[in-house]
Amino acid sequence: MSAFFKKMKGGSQSPPGVGFSEIAWSWLGAFLGITPVALLQYNFFPDGDLVFLIGSFGASAVLIYGAVRSPLAQPRNLVGGHVISAVIGVAAWQVLGSAPWLAAAFAVATAIAAMHVTKTLHPPGGATALIAVIGSEKIHSLGFLYVLFPVLTGVVIMLIVALVVNNIAGSRKFPEFWW
Amino acid sequence: MKFSALNECRQTISDEDIVVAMKKIPGYLDITPSDFMEIYRVAFDHALHRLKHAITAEQIMTRQVATVPENALLVEVVRLLADHDISGMPVIRPDRTIAGVISEKDFLSKMGGGESPSFMHVILQCLEKTGCIAADIKKLTAKDIMSSPAVTISGTMPLFEVAEIMDRHNINRVPVIDEAGRLAGIVARSDLIQTMC
Repeated sequence: MSAFFKKMKGGSQSPPGVGFSEIAWSWLGAFLGITPVALLQYNFFPDGDLVFLIGSFGASAVLIYGAVRSPLAQPRNLVGGHVISAVIGVAAWQVLGSAPWLAAAFAVATAIAAMHVTKTLHPPGGATALIAVIGSEKIHSLGFLYVLFPVLTGVVIMLIVALVVNNIAGSRKFPEFWW
Repeated sequence: MKFSALNECRQTISDEDIVVAMKKIPGYLDITPSDFMEIYRVAFDHALHRLKHAITAEQIMTRQVATVPENALLVEVVRLLADHDISGMPVIRPDRTIAGVISEKDFLSKMGGGESPSFMHVILQCLEKTGCIAADIKKLTAKDIMSSPAVTISGTMPLFEVAEIMDRHNINRVPVIDEAGRLAGIVARSDLIQTMC
């Protein structure tokens, strides 16, 4: 029992912070990455039934523009994690939608498991699965189209921006691996 | 050099080293120093294990070995050692089995070096007493002063065991023998260092 609580003490050192240029590149990358997706959402299709911008993209931006080297931020994880989680989220809503609490919990938990199995763990994928359940009527009415719009479209746009911005930065290289 | 000390090498890396390295590498590393330490430890042990078993004595041994017969006069032995610029060599019987090993150490101890012979011990002997005793050994042969029986190894012995044997017996070279006990090659300390570093 004491071993159980002892684990909670931590005891390991926190990693060092990053320098100014790293912060600047993270900011620029995220700004340029979210911009086109947000423009699609607000300027090109303001009144349509389509959704382009979802909350989990903000989380992806942290990884692919802010923690470029992380295994969680690589293309396989970014694309695979979102797409797989989106499918699971939509399915969870359609099957378990009558019990939203169950659909929500099941979607996130299953998304994590599926991402582990497929070696595509990408934390924002959990949010993508959850959004398919707790999202607006607009999201629900998309059905499995949700996987393509907004998820895959946004992810691909953000990936392209990451490839450009992260490789212009002298201190960065992206990706570490593709597959 | 204590080869067994290599096992402790990894203990010398500190948390501070890792944090400094993480600072030096540009970009945010999605890893804690203790994660790195754990990876490093496991990887180091793995590498050590690999080195311990991957390379064997016969892969690095010298096959052209300078040798002397048992009845060689010491002056011949010394000439050979000097010509080859080596400090020791196997003494072999006519069938190429190993009778012993003769090295600087054997000369030094014979010339008054005592228990743990060194060049300085011999010099001390010369200065403290009336003269040097090299003259006494002129008539001796390799067999008279060689270390025997020799420590030998088989060609399939992994490098790290070779290193341990050298440490344990405090020797600088060890003859490699084939199944019939005949000389096949020799591994010197310097061969080990070249291979491992």
